[in-house]
Amino acid sequence: MSASTHDDHHDVSYLHPKGGFFATVWDWMTTIDHKKIGVMYLFATLFAFFLGGVFALLVRMELFSPTKTIIDAVTEETVVTGQIFSPDTYNRLFTLHGAIMVFLFIIPAIPAAMGNFFLPLMLGAKDVAFPRLNLMSWYIYVTGAAFSLISILLGGVDTGWTFYTPYSIQGDEEHWRVVFMTTGVFILGFSSILTGMNFIVTVHKLRAPGMGWFDMPLFIWAIYATSIIQVLATPVLGVTVLLLTVERLFKVGIFDPALGGDPVLYQHFFWFYSHPAVYIMILPGMGIMSELIGVHARKKIFGYRAVAFSSLGIAAISFIVWGHHMFTAQGELASAIFSFLTFLVAIPSAIKVFNWVATLYKGSIALNTPMCYALGFLFTFSIGGLTGIFLGSLPTDLHLHDTYFIVAHFHYVMMGGTAIAFMGGLHHWWPKMFGKMYSERWALVGFALVFIGFNVTFFSQFLMGADGMPRRYATYVDEFMPFHRASTIGSWILALGFFVHLFVFVHSLIAGRKAPPNPWGGLTLEWTTDSPPIEHNFHHEPLVQHGPYDFDDVVPPHCDPADYPLPEPIESDSLKPGRTMH
Amino acid sequence: MISLLNNLCGLLASAPHVPVEGGVGLHRKGSTFVTQHDMLFWFIFWLSVFFFVLLMGLSAYFIFKYRRRPGVPAQRSASHNTPLELTWSVVPLVILLGLFFWAFHVYMDMHMAPGDAEEINVTAQKWAWSWVYDNGAEAQETRRIADQDVPVFAVPADKPVRLIMHSTDVIHSLYVPDFRVKLDVFPMRYTTMWFEASKAGEEHYLFCAEYCGSGHSQMGAVIKVLEMNDYLQWKQDNTLDDALSPVELGGILYRTRGCNACHATDDRSGEGPGWAGIYGSERRFTDGSTTTADENYLRSQILDPSGRTLEGYRNVMPSYQGMPERELNALIAFIKSLSAKGREELDAVEEEIEAALEEAEEDENSQD
Repeated sequence: MSASTHDDHHDVSYLHPKGGFFATVWDWMTTIDHKKIGVMYLFATLFAFFLGGVFALLVRMELFSPTKTIIDAVTEETVVTGQIFSPDTYNRLFTLHGAIMVFLFIIPAIPAAMGNFFLPLMLGAKDVAFPRLNLMSWYIYVTGAAFSLISILLGGVDTGWTFYTPYSIQGDEEHWRVVFMTTGVFILGFSSILTGMNFIVTVHKLRAPGMGWFDMPLFIWAIYATSIIQVLATPVLGVTVLLLTVERLFKVGIFDPALGGDPVLYQHFFWFYSHPAVYIMILPGMGIMSELIGVHARKKIFGYRAVAFSSLGIAAISFIVWGHHMFTAQGELASAIFSFLTFLVAIPSAIKVFNWVATLYKGSIALNTPMCYALGFLFTFSIGGLTGIFLGSLPTDLHLHDTYFIVAHFHYVMMGGTAIAFMGGLHHWWPKMFGKMYSERWALVGFALVFIGFNVTFFSQFLMGADGMPRRYATYVDEFMPFHRASTIGSWILALGFFVHLFVFVHSLIAGRKAPPNPWGGLTLEWTTDSPPIEHNFHHEPLVQHGPYDFDDVVPPHCDPADYPLPEPIESDSLKPGRTMH
Repeated sequence: MISLLNNLCGLLASAPHVPVEGGVGLHRKGSTFVTQHDMLFWFIFWLSVFFFVLLMGLSAYFIFKYRRRPGVPAQRSASHNTPLELTWSVVPLVILLGLFFWAFHVYMDMHMAPGDAEEINVTAQKWAWSWVYDNGAEAQETRRIADQDVPVFAVPADKPVRLIMHSTDVIHSLYVPDFRVKLDVFPMRYTTMWFEASKAGEEHYLFCAEYCGSGHSQMGAVIKVLEMNDYLQWKQDNTLDDALSPVELGGILYRTRGCNACHATDDRSGEGPGWAGIYGSERRFTDGSTTTADENYLRSQILDPSGRTLEGYRNVMPSYQGMPERELNALIAFIKSLSAKGREELDAVEEEIEAALEEAEEDENSQD
């Protein structure tokens, strides 16, 4: 079965080099193989994560002390005043942290990197529906990212990642850098739309024989729901930043009250995209969660249909809750309606969490790195979700809006949710992607540091936010200092954890032991092929004969039945049978 | 790197800061909203704790009880259960809907200002708050918080206060954590909020909560709550006296008009140049041209700052177009008083005035 012994060159690993160095580079640059494109996205988004992380560390470093800065660079005077950056530099740092993390990391990380790699594999397809379009999406992403990076290299933008008007359209010096940044966002939007379209068609048309809609892994359902949002919501962002750019360049009054525009209109436009975008970020993470919990607890996901439909439900409701970002900015009636709808959107997310916990019941739970991340997700995402109730409720939101409570809340959802799920998924699928195992022990050390560091960093932010510490402050009153110090120290632990992971992965690539095709005993189709997969994914077109989580009835492919024993066949009628092979 | 480390070690040597008594946060119950708001807040808190402990407790129990053991398969169990699933969908839904109506009720109370409220006009600008009271009073006292001199505003206790707010440039947001109130402040539009401070003698922080640029984190204020009589007296004391000399008036306007957010009265540079020694000095602009700072220069820089930008600074100053002549002259006089040349000129003028006054007095006396 090993790829290297096979004669047909299509049966070699997709990582097999094509001739010399330049030939290989050229091969990667022009590849239409979804796996290679996925890997390229993976490294690009990881680089963005690193960059955004460095900015985050600098932000936290600045906030270690409460006082104001006099000058920019680290000089004698800053030593005296205890400051590192000027407020202007600080404002650029948090803007870049936000913009990079949102537009270059979280939005593309799971759908574009893991979705590209695993969506066709899990569907039993040879590739996505439009492989060339897929490569184009990648180049559009790179172009958009380049625009953003240029604006950073030229000195950065200080508007916050939300580019709120009229602030973002005033000030001559930042004028053209904001244009660079929004142009970058505009271009990135196209990448997102095209990837979404590609995935929707792939899910509809390229499922392997025997795979009905409810035989799809839940990761696919999540990516499918995400793609719908990407296709429908992203154009609004495109239009919005385009209007912003037109206003800045040509002084056409759209959002700037001085020109007769309406700044709140901008906020409506922006959040009409950016709230659904929150679910573009979290839904794929939820999809990964279902895979991790199912495989590592060896249990059929409890309430499969409820989990699948809740993804679609979230996607639908996500379009009508944008106004909850503006409770302090819009009228009372609008606020009341949006508050009501916001309470509704909590339900499908809650259903998912209940289902995951119920899946653990009577499972066979392995505490390896992917599963630890999945359980870590349950912890952090529950906190993120529950603290959302404070923000959906109108009077408490008036108090907490634009404070560190919000910052903590969305980091618990975006980082404690999406980024944690991403790390879990990366450890889950790493052996499949690169054909190498990693050091389980050191990966667990990394997990422990990340988990502890994350909670220290952001839980303290809930406390100071509830006490009224506003966000986006370069300096603050002394009363908040203990919380800020704890948060900054947490960020160091967090960074250390990610560096441990980095070394684990690099070590794995260099010296990792060869990965078996199915190291965890998974039942979805990606585990039936080699690790790493061959160029055309499967030696023979797969035929789906069981559900994705029928662990009670099916011995996983390539696995020793002794390692993955099945429970006794059903005797009692009182137990509902799981889906059996047919 | 070493300087960075030094920084981290020597950070406790922070700048002067005069905290308000009692600090800031949920423990401060500054307004009449607090009771209702906090009841809702803590209800949501304990509800969250309940569900969190339930979920995590169950998970921890399952993780331990059903941990993987070699050769032991997972046990069979139902993979869905409609009544159970309906229960955990409907119960949270009912709870959340109940919460919505409760929260909406509290919200409407917070929105409807009583008719007899004391009205104060609030202007926000980069990066200062200015409150104008119904008798024209403006706060003249300042306090140093977060390394910035910020105004101290007075409000009456046990009397609703309604703020009528607008901004002269970008969006700001007025936030008093101890009152649990916050509302955005827009350019070219009024927004109104109200509150009733509950205890005389207390002080509270006011923050800007909507990001507005370089000085965002220093755009604060202190609110002090006074008994009604003291409040009325305070308003009297804080009206600008017509008898103030231009320099004295300029010194007050320097603080109440937000100049101090960017300009120091010594020669240190902030967002803008320090004012000491400016008058009479040579100024160089970004286009390379130069001029000597006289009254005309100061006037044009106040009214139309974006016309010419000084070398080494950014074009961020808002225009003070529309400032009354008396205030404009007072500010120019104040800036002049901060340089040796200006001081001399002012002294000369003052001597002349004094001489003239004496003369007039003598005339008066002689007429009697």
